[in-house]
Amino acid sequence: MLKTNSVGLTISAVPLLNNISIDCPRGSVTALMGPNGAGKTSLLKVIAGEHKASQGRVEINGQSREDWKQSEIAKFMAVLPQSSTLEFAFTAQEVVALGRTPHATGLLRDAEIIIGALAKVDASYLAQRSFVQLSGGEKQRVQLARVLAQIWEHCEGDSATDGILLLDEPSAAFDLAHQLMLIEIVQQIAARGVTVVMVMHDLNLAAKCADQMVFMNCGQCTAVGTVKELLTPELIAKVFSVDAEVITHPLQGTPMVVV
Amino acid sequence: MKRLNTRLITPQLCAVILLIMLPLVSVLGLMTGPVFIPLSDILSIMLAGDGAANGSNSQEKLIIEIIRLPRVMLSLIVGALLAACGALLQGLFRNPLADPALIGVSAGASVGASSVIVFGSMVNSGGVMLGLSAISMGAFGGAIVASVIIYRLATGPQGTSVATMLLAGIAISALAGAATNTLSYLADNDMLRRISLWQMGNLQGASWERVGLGALTAGCLAVLIPRETGALNAMLLGESEARHLGINVEWLKRRLIIYSALGVAISVAIAGVIAFVGLMVPHLIRLLVGPDHRSLLPLSALAGAILLVAADALARVVIAPAELPVGIVTSLLGAPFFLWLLVLQRGRS
Repeated sequence: MLKTNSVGLTISAVPLLNNISIDCPRGSVTALMGPNGAGKTSLLKVIAGEHKASQGRVEINGQSREDWKQSEIAKFMAVLPQSSTLEFAFTAQEVVALGRTPHATGLLRDAEIIIGALAKVDASYLAQRSFVQLSGGEKQRVQLARVLAQIWEHCEGDSATDGILLLDEPSAAFDLAHQLMLIEIVQQIAARGVTVVMVMHDLNLAAKCADQMVFMNCGQCTAVGTVKELLTPELIAKVFSVDAEVITHPLQGTPMVVV
Repeated sequence: MKRLNTRLITPQLCAVILLIMLPLVSVLGLMTGPVFIPLSDILSIMLAGDGAANGSNSQEKLIIEIIRLPRVMLSLIVGALLAACGALLQGLFRNPLADPALIGVSAGASVGASSVIVFGSMVNSGGVMLGLSAISMGAFGGAIVASVIIYRLATGPQGTSVATMLLAGIAISALAGAATNTLSYLADNDMLRRISLWQMGNLQGASWERVGLGALTAGCLAVLIPRETGALNAMLLGESEARHLGINVEWLKRRLIIYSALGVAISVAIAGVIAFVGLMVPHLIRLLVGPDHRSLLPLSALAGAILLVAADALARVVIAPAELPVGIVTSLLGAPFFLWLLVLQRGRS
């Protein structure tokens, strides 16, 4: 579904990415992880089309990223940035409605989708509130609802094509309950065929939902593999320069990193 | 969609109120001036056509037809253009403090217009005055150059820096002022009179020729701009967000700069620099109905038309029988409003 073939990125003579190859099959969840400045966001931006790869290429559905028209891609790929600056007093509901910009599904259908998307991120009570007055976590939830609304048919599993969702530190501003809500949403939409790529800092949170982890450091891809393969004390020490123990979750059996 | 309770009124109600105010204010504009013309006479002149004029009524008929009606029409058009272009620029800059006159677009237009007057008539042997269309082209060129410079300077991936935008506006206005002053120095008396029009917004020179040019421009923009409203809304989220929503942002920005420069340039060419209309009007409309460009742009145009006709009527009666340039009236209203907005912004951040 989504592939990067030896992608490199150099901006004003500074190399940001070097020879990154990852393969995200349909309905998989990939977590990009690594220390600050490792190039996680840069990679996400290359996939999103904000930066053009200096070397290599990004493939979407077997077709080079550059051969897609932006208006076509927007119908099945949504991107949630790290933070957003919206200075105008849209209501939360209107912000979510902007997610339907690429589609022409009609006001009635869109209104249903907006209500559904807000409910999904536990933000129905914010619908009429002014976006600029929301807290950081509330804003991020409304933005999440916006990107879900953009690929709603794919998230609901009633679309002939497959969706892609790119998330840049989606849980950074969330409280514990909403972090778990995010994991649940990601698992649910992945099960319905949406390919998810997300930048995350919390190893344990990523371990709960990722099919594939990518460890990055200094613009290089250090390791790619399943959660069990990558969450080892040796790799964590190498990538994050932190001494950590890896234990097994007593109930779920997933690896847990303890520092 | 459900009614939004955070808004003061719905766009529909706002439109109804403005559409009722528009003819009332226009008639008021026809009545006021050095010669007061009562409502009954205006109605009989407007409704009766050519045949009915007699006695004192024929003098009033001339005043209405040659002076007041074009002037009111010109105020309506210029007010609508300025307010709509203000809203457009604020969407482009993603910042509610952009105003064509504050950020130097109007100054750029007036330099363009003045250069055409001075150099045009120098080149044209015998000092034949160039027509309004050539001056408008000059104003358009100046407005485009100013818009592009300010946009390049002030806007980065993180959005627009207000400080840079306003400072660049000051610099460009100063530069444009110097250029216009140099041109005034070179100009002869007739040119000078025409140039001075651009420095102080003035609707005195209203003519049917100007009304026609303004109406043509407003008509073109009224067809072109509504197609961009959805994209403008998405742009408010940020440039890359808009791109991810499938919008070709680079072309959108180019079109928005051309449309706003066109609107500002024509309004400067026919009425000079009138400040703050483009700032105040969209701001008030946003407070009333919210920032959605689908309603913001048409309602701003309506409210801008009303505001400028009212301001012009005021300009004619404050120091009657003399009259103030309307730019002074809008600045008197607008400058305190702008300061109030700055204080509000400071309180928020």
